[in-house]
Amino acid sequence: MVFNTQKSVATESHHSAAQSVEPFNLDETIGHIAHWLPTQGPIKDFIHHNTLHAVQHLPFHEGVALASKMFGARSYMPMEYYLQMYLQGRIKNHGIDWALNRTDTTKEHQEQLKLAMFIQDKNSHYPPISLANHGIRNAWAKKLELDLSTLVHPILFRLLGNFLDQGISRWTLPKDGESFWDCVMRLAQNSLIPLYPLQEPIVRKLLTQTPDQVIQICLDKMVGASDLYEQYLLEMLLAHPGWAGMVRIVEETPRSLLDPRNISLKQMIAVEILCELAFVHKYKGENFANIASIQLTEKTTLLKKGLPSPEIPLILKLWHEAMEWSLHTELLTALKPEQQKAHKPQTKPNVQAFFCLDDRECSLRRHLEEIDPNIETFGAAGFFGIDFLYQGLDDAYPVAQCPVIITPKHLILETGGEKPEKDSKADDISHMHFKSHSFLRGWLYTQTLGIGYAARMVWDVFRPGSKLPKLKSLSEIEAHSQLHLLRENDTPTKDGYLLGFSFTEMADRVGGLLTNIGLTRHFAPLVVIVAHGSSSVNNPHFAAYDCGACAGKPGAPNARAFAWMANHEEVRRILFDRGIDIPGGTRFVAALHNTSRDEITYFDNHLLKQHPAEGLAKFQKVMVEALQRNARERCRWFELAPKSNTVEKAHDHVTARASSIFEPRPEYNHSNNLYCIIGRRKLTRDLFMDRRAFLHSYDPNTDPMGNIMVRILSAIIPVCGGINLEYLFSRVDNSVYGAGTKLPHNVIGLLGVANGVEGDLRTGLPQQMIEVHEPARLLIVAEQSTAILDKAVANIGDLKEWLDNEWVRLVSSNPATQEQFLYSKDSWEAIDLPTDYASPSAQSSEDIFMDKTETVPVHHLQRNHS
Amino acid sequence: MNSLMLASLLIPLAGFWLIFFTPNNEKIIAVISYSCSHIMGLCIAALLYVWATQGYPHHEFEWFNLYATDDYSFPVLLYFDRISAVYLGCVWAIFSIIVKYCRIYLHREAGYKRFFLTIFSFVFGLNIVILSGSIDILFAGWEIVGMSSFLLIAFYRHRPQPIRNALRAYTVYRFCDIGLLLGSWMSHLLFHESQHFSQLADLFNHDAFPPAGYASLLLLSTLIIIAASGKSAQFPFCFWLPRAMEGPTPSSAIFYGALSVHLGVFLLLRTTPIWTYEYFTRFIVFFIGLLTVIIASVSEKTQSNIKGQIAYASITQVGLMFIELSLGLETLVLVHFLGNAFLRCYQLLVSPSIVAHLLRVEGSADTDFHINSTGRYSFLPESIRNTLPDVLRNTLYVFSLQEGNLELVVRASVWEPLKRIGMRVNTTNLWIKAFNALVGISLVFIVFEVLDIERKYVAIPISIAMVLASLSAFGQLNKPISVWNAITLSSTLAGIAVLFLNPQAKPDVAIFLSGILPAWLLGIMVLFRMLKNQDAAESLFTYQAMAETRPRLSLLLFISFLGLVGFPISPAFLGEDLLLSHASSHDPWFALPITIAFIINGIAGARVFQRLCLGRPTELCGEHGRIVVSEISLSLKRKSDHLMHGSKPEGKLET
Repeated sequence: MVFNTQKSVATESHHSAAQSVEPFNLDETIGHIAHWLPTQGPIKDFIHHNTLHAVQHLPFHEGVALASKMFGARSYMPMEYYLQMYLQGRIKNHGIDWALNRTDTTKEHQEQLKLAMFIQDKNSHYPPISLANHGIRNAWAKKLELDLSTLVHPILFRLLGNFLDQGISRWTLPKDGESFWDCVMRLAQNSLIPLYPLQEPIVRKLLTQTPDQVIQICLDKMVGASDLYEQYLLEMLLAHPGWAGMVRIVEETPRSLLDPRNISLKQMIAVEILCELAFVHKYKGENFANIASIQLTEKTTLLKKGLPSPEIPLILKLWHEAMEWSLHTELLTALKPEQQKAHKPQTKPNVQAFFCLDDRECSLRRHLEEIDPNIETFGAAGFFGIDFLYQGLDDAYPVAQCPVIITPKHLILETGGEKPEKDSKADDISHMHFKSHSFLRGWLYTQTLGIGYAARMVWDVFRPGSKLPKLKSLSEIEAHSQLHLLRENDTPTKDGYLLGFSFTEMADRVGGLLTNIGLTRHFAPLVVIVAHGSSSVNNPHFAAYDCGACAGKPGAPNARAFAWMANHEEVRRILFDRGIDIPGGTRFVAALHNTSRDEITYFDNHLLKQHPAEGLAKFQKVMVEALQRNARERCRWFELAPKSNTVEKAHDHVTARASSIFEPRPEYNHSNNLYCIIGRRKLTRDLFMDRRAFLHSYDPNTDPMGNIMVRILSAIIPVCGGINLEYLFSRVDNSVYGAGTKLPHNVIGLLGVANGVEGDLRTGLPQQMIEVHEPARLLIVAEQSTAILDKAVANIGDLKEWLDNEWVRLVSSNPATQEQFLYSKDSWEAIDLPTDYASPSAQSSEDIFMDKTETVPVHHLQRNHS
Repeated sequence: MNSLMLASLLIPLAGFWLIFFTPNNEKIIAVISYSCSHIMGLCIAALLYVWATQGYPHHEFEWFNLYATDDYSFPVLLYFDRISAVYLGCVWAIFSIIVKYCRIYLHREAGYKRFFLTIFSFVFGLNIVILSGSIDILFAGWEIVGMSSFLLIAFYRHRPQPIRNALRAYTVYRFCDIGLLLGSWMSHLLFHESQHFSQLADLFNHDAFPPAGYASLLLLSTLIIIAASGKSAQFPFCFWLPRAMEGPTPSSAIFYGALSVHLGVFLLLRTTPIWTYEYFTRFIVFFIGLLTVIIASVSEKTQSNIKGQIAYASITQVGLMFIELSLGLETLVLVHFLGNAFLRCYQLLVSPSIVAHLLRVEGSADTDFHINSTGRYSFLPESIRNTLPDVLRNTLYVFSLQEGNLELVVRASVWEPLKRIGMRVNTTNLWIKAFNALVGISLVFIVFEVLDIERKYVAIPISIAMVLASLSAFGQLNKPISVWNAITLSSTLAGIAVLFLNPQAKPDVAIFLSGILPAWLLGIMVLFRMLKNQDAAESLFTYQAMAETRPRLSLLLFISFLGLVGFPISPAFLGEDLLLSHASSHDPWFALPITIAFIINGIAGARVFQRLCLGRPTELCGEHGRIVVSEISLSLKRKSDHLMHGSKPEGKLET
């Protein structure tokens, strides 16, 4: 990979200078370029990932600085932000000292740097001069006074949008299996109206060529120097990263579209560069000055000399590290042994509840345990170890219900007791507004029903909480249906999936999860599996609000599957042989927590009638109260929520939020995420972590070889790390790394959102999701000794890069001695916690969060265990 | 009733100023806008009630006379009838819904105050249009609506695309203003004191005596129709509407879904007596409607984005309204207007739901319609059956994809030639220009002296020079100051030409120039300060984001721009009208060049403002900004730079 290291590029370019004509290899070049494109798939499934995956092979700060030079983005928050946090006491002096120490310079220099950190500098925060905005292509366009992007983008985006469209437009562009290039050529060559601008004579001659030839010819004409070709193509794509990235995704994983399309980045580049040539010819004639012939200024970055060597903005970097370490030490201090009270041995729990490790469940778990100390909670990745494709009764197609890293092989169908009447083609009055487009029908509708929409609009805007009867929300999923889980024969379906699981496969999955979270004995009579999802209206990013471990879906099918499997006698028998003894009196019950409305739905009640679960009624009561308290805790983040709220009022508020068409923030999602703790619940049970932690249960004593840790880390690093970094970068530069504000978004072809009608697809997270986020990297605390962690880290493959380059931080908390060590590439660093800071403590959660509007440090909860 | 009309008219303005003078505080702005929408609702309800009790009269009211000389007066006239009632009611309903919607939707948005300011000025403009009693007043409202449209499309000023589309919409608006500006002048000319809407119907009641000649009536009708089709995105201006959907969704809903797009229909409703008098003009309206319906409904079929689809669906319905209008179905049009306004507004507001709707509710992943029904072509001879339909299909698709090629046609036939002339003017050497001008002037004087032609024909070469100056501003891409100068030169030449035409018009010219010259001075001062540290290589080709780096100067430049283009806050607005009506009452030909010059000046000015003030700042902009860093920080910075370079790869030191 040419971009990987500066040296290799340098030697190559040297090489090319010597050998004046170096053949230009298009396929290789496209490979290099594609590396810089965002990898966000169609909007129906939202998978969080590291926005800067392109520079993940570099240490964090160098990677960020390089990316900012490439994309023209900011690297850190503005200085005022950090100063503000310092003044609020959220960045502490020991954090600054720690960051300064890591610069590894003399004490004297550090003192000077520290002084410099407090000098306001408003100009340092503008995005840098970058390849995307100030490269050779822009220099050339400026010279010609011809804004190619403005001319070409609308045409290209229209073609791409219509070609890839998944169901918005009435007429489908491609014929079956037709490739993008063929399709565009068909329109250009075989239509009575010319396809603008491909009617230019120079271009018409090229239409019969292959994309490869077209790109080569156009580059020869417009660029003229083969050592600039790669840079030109890269700049061309970076001018519209959204569409380019989407095309690359569709090319590499055609399955990401429901209605597959045959397209490749090369075809797109060919069409685009052909349009560019047409415009240059149209406006500048035959003999225009190509790039090789114009004088480039010194400011222009040239890739042939190697990647730009970025300057890391030192002061901002120091502030950023200081902030991160200040926040991280808040948790580390709270986890320290001397402050942990001697635990009363916990009584045998009445109820055990499994939650997703999601940070949004962190507070719900705390509230449950606070209300009823006899409830024990566990955290695991929200697909509960069961990976499958799921097709519900109402679904048109199956969707994957597991993290992206796993490719499921099993298909699960939902079957109905009584199949609900559903006639999708009937004009349901509540959705007619989506259809009245055609002009005659539209004329009738507007003449007759149009005024009715005044009433509907008034209703929706002034009474959002109350629902119209026809609207079904997420938590009201038909609970009468069943999952078809047991495989009856081994013939795969025509797509190559196995229909259902065998008992052994079920036992593998159930046993796997129970071992992961360290629950193999002492089962309570009732075990509740709580999946989560989120309901919102008028929100194209709805998938980003659902369970990240289920590839952006609600986790209900997984919870139902798990409960069914774990309840099955045959599965329990196999598990018993493997040493997991689930008592006969124990029942597993599946439920779904709606994180935006703070409501819960229990599934498969008909099964409960046959085998009633002990204590479920009581648990449900406790749950209702916990959800209300949780709603109140969330309300502190909503500026427009009622201030002196009772729990009922708060709950009403969050419900209204999730059902208002004018509410761009149904919830704040992972906005608070910062920590991830892999360990026993007793480590965190008495902590108030302000919904900041991903919590994965793990028993260090059952994992002497670190195998379980390997499994957990390989799920946690991409999922939680991905969430964390996507939030971080979207927050740091919302207009380049993020999707900008939601308000002007326009849904394009069910693929994504764009600004306005002819904009580029926006990747990353919208402003309304990240605005209160504190952009700090994830701190993973693993309750395990460094020796075993070393073994585990050695086995996580490519993911080690995340740790080595500090895209996430890993701390080992020794289960026996409680000593803490920070992971670094070559060694474990002992952590000196500040002596002048002790974790604050409080009696109850409410005492801590009421009337607070900012993040709160980790507190100890001093409750009396009865 | 009069005071109620005034109240409904002025409340949005009051709201505007209240918000303008409050700090950027969401709560206060929300309280102000709620109360304004409530009070406005009360006023409108009371107005409708009083109107109904009086038996639905056609009510006219002259508020005051802005300017009067012996043969000219500019009264501020208000008028209320059934059409105003329907439109006013609809405006209020949608306005109050949007205000309520935006209170939460725009929460924490950086431009919260800016947004509400623009919405209020928009509603103020709308109310003026709806309650206006003559074309002059209507034109004032029309301009305000246009300007707030421009500002709302460019609401997200960091990105070049909204800025470009704002200019695109503004250009179409401005172009169609030719229709209204000339129309208002012609109505002065034709109906003299009787250009009140209230008297129009009576004028045309006498079948025997048409109030004006056939030709001039035709011309006036055409002008009005141009204005109406521009604002309502009818043929051939359909293309701007979908591209205007750049602001926050509710603003698109209120402007382009519901209200602004129906203003053309309103104008036609208001001037029905004029353009329905001849069957030919009725036919034009019918034809425009028909073409629009065809093109827009075909274009809508290939819109792969939801807002574009709604926009074209809306255009189609407005086209149908034009057809209904031409058939004289006034009541049907009013019902249709209400239905379409509410439906499109709602559709736009819930447009983000389309993903969830199509995927979860409808469960459909693919489109329902392919244009390939092979059976349909079985009547064709076998030899071409397989090729011809394919060609037709492709053609239809390309036609739909390129939205009927309307934009290309308009651009190629109107803007490109103008720009080319302008660039030609600019590339000519200054001395050659001066020489030509001198030669030209002396030649003209000699010719005039020798042939003893009437003095006023000197205005002909002057007006040519005026148009050339405007074109030069239009074609200028690099030097903002020369654009400003060229605009002023063009306006001044207009004044001089008028003096030649009608030496008595001195006070009018003075009024006109009293608006232009201060605006120019202000503009030049601001531009000098803005460009002081400017890198010479930085042309207007890039957006320079001064609204962010130098907000105060940008606001001043905007005010100067408004003054130069004769926005209804500047005396130049009245002056424009005066020049037109006064000076050209005897020389109708003069109206054309002066209008063209005004229109083009507006566009050129808007472009300079955009290039300089909008955009996203980068390091480059920062370098020219005021970098005031104290000594210590400079030295420290140098040291830290040194430090950083000294210990280059940070990563390695972290072990």
